[in-house]
Amino acid sequence: MKPPVAIAALVGVAMVGGSALFVEQQVRASKERLENPKPADDAPEAKVAVADHTEADYCTPKFKEVLARVVLACGLSGADSRRGCEPVDVRSFSSISDEDFNALFEPLVDRGGIVLFDDNSDVLDDGAKKLIEEKWAERKGARYFFIVARASKTGAAGYNEALSQRRANSSFFHLESTAKEKKEEGSIDKMVGMLWLGSQYAQLSKDYCGTWSLSRGLPAQPTVKGQPAKPGPKNAHACTDEAINRSAFISWVDCRL
Amino acid sequence: MGALASLLGAIFAGLSTHDYAQHLDRQLHGTHCSFIPGLGEATGENPCTAAMYSPYSALLKDKMWGGIPISLFALGAFAFFFAASLYLLLARENASKRFRIGYFVATLGPFAASILMFIISLVKLGELCKLCVGIYVASIALFVAGILALMGSRQAFGRVARPGQPRSADSTALDPQPWHQNEKNSRALPTKVDTVTPVSAPTGSWAAPVFLFATLGIATALPAIVYAGSLPDYSSKIVECGKLTVRTEKHNALVKITTTNPKQQALTFEDPLCPTCKAFHDRLVSEGIYENLDLTVAVFPLDSECNWMLKRPMHPGACVLARAVLCGDKDGKARQVLEWSYKNQKELAEAGKADVADVRARVVKKFPELDACLDTKETKARLDNILRFAVENKIRVSTPQLFLGDTRVCDEDTDMGLSYTLQRLAPSVKK
Repeated sequence: MKPPVAIAALVGVAMVGGSALFVEQQVRASKERLENPKPADDAPEAKVAVADHTEADYCTPKFKEVLARVVLACGLSGADSRRGCEPVDVRSFSSISDEDFNALFEPLVDRGGIVLFDDNSDVLDDGAKKLIEEKWAERKGARYFFIVARASKTGAAGYNEALSQRRANSSFFHLESTAKEKKEEGSIDKMVGMLWLGSQYAQLSKDYCGTWSLSRGLPAQPTVKGQPAKPGPKNAHACTDEAINRSAFISWVDCRL
Repeated sequence: MGALASLLGAIFAGLSTHDYAQHLDRQLHGTHCSFIPGLGEATGENPCTAAMYSPYSALLKDKMWGGIPISLFALGAFAFFFAASLYLLLARENASKRFRIGYFVATLGPFAASILMFIISLVKLGELCKLCVGIYVASIALFVAGILALMGSRQAFGRVARPGQPRSADSTALDPQPWHQNEKNSRALPTKVDTVTPVSAPTGSWAAPVFLFATLGIATALPAIVYAGSLPDYSSKIVECGKLTVRTEKHNALVKITTTNPKQQALTFEDPLCPTCKAFHDRLVSEGIYENLDLTVAVFPLDSECNWMLKRPMHPGACVLARAVLCGDKDGKARQVLEWSYKNQKELAEAGKADVADVRARVVKKFPELDACLDTKETKARLDNILRFAVENKIRVSTPQLFLGDTRVCDEDTDMGLSYTLQRLAPSVKK
């Protein structure tokens, strides 16, 4: 064989063979990585979030503690026939003061509303129904809806507790019918958490009148703490400490558990 | 020249093969995208990645995950041409005419393939991958080397004596007797004049080109055969990415897309401003798959303005476009709005970064009839319902995502492995 032919043949074999070996080595390396991937913590896909409900800034550990107890301890999430928590339950799971308890809900000022009731009544007026429907429709990514009913200090504590429970139920029943219209009735039981606080626990101050969405016409201008509320429309109910506690606080809660 | 071109082509083809083979592990990798071999590894979207994911980058994509990349054939061919060119370099005038003809004809292969791929890149992909351009240039240079080799076979080697003008060496028409050939100068330089003999390439045997083509064929196919033989088994991998737990959205919030030949139920989660969604959409269209899908789209904007799953907007303006798709759906224009968003994605994304209101203005300019619908409570509530549908199914906060029936197509299978995956999970869409 002539030298040029021999040299070219050797080089050709080396080049083509080397290419084949290179390819085999590349594929083998990928196969190895495929079969033995890096630990999940290092893999970029491990950092991809999974679609979930909203987690707002106000979801502090204390807030979540309350939420968890309402959801888990008060029969919301399971098949437990009992629904909602009584004041005694609240006392047992929340070792915080009334003010601190209410403060937990203050960040919901733009999210929630306060349904007002007449004295000694659990009947929803049109404004109350409208507010419930509006707030229910503003769900966005929330997982839970809260109803926290209260009663004013007028009357006996036991009676007020029962009245508070009826107010929570009225709100819930209207939610049920609203949800039914929107084809959401199947899941409402797992979404709505109820507390009835009666008149013994976490009473609201009338400062809530000016800053929160209310179901009734109350002073048009927001009140400033420590100053009397400005007069509202003619048919408006006066906002007093008594009136604001004949109520059910309603809101979607943007927290995950 | 041929050896140099072949070496360059082999390096570019080797890099391209390396990039392709890297992706066989179904993980994210960069691609080399530079005229300087080995430099310019880019992780984001670039023309080299787009070319790699395109249906033109490989053969038998239906049969094998990712198919057989055409760069393998280039690698084998250039390796062969390096040796053949080296032979020409070493043999010089002893290389036969028939070998030269064979060499020239063989260089037509890479040249024609490069021209074809160049046209495809321009016409179908709309962009040129630098690594591919490197291979095109090497192929052209090799083709030129082939021409030169062919011309070499027709040319005599050594000094030429023209017919009818017998002259001694160094004589010219103007100076028939150069000074050093004069008697008196004969002592200054040797007077012996070489005999002028035309030397041409030997004709050679036809066996040479036959052998050349046979070895070219073997060399070209060998890396591809080795590659195909070493590929992992992906059949179980493509069904490991979960299923829809809730198949329908109870408020009918999802968007039905009209296609011409719907055969296979499919659901996609798409963000109108996500470049990967656009690339995926284009891929489905270009591979003729899109029209065969009975497609429902869940618009899933990666924009915190409406999507509570994000802390900051990845694609500002995507919520506006998502709502525009929903509004368009009322008039049967959802697909039109979505495809307009993809077509103008670059401009819309830039507009969104500067001022989201500008995205809205552009939508309204193009589709004035959507103006009244874009910001209504109903539209926003519909989008919320779609996002909650994503929550119910615990899908990943990323786009695009494709479900065939209720089986989720892995992200890794939406590009290189798309044909293979569809062939197994939904063969009807490939027909």
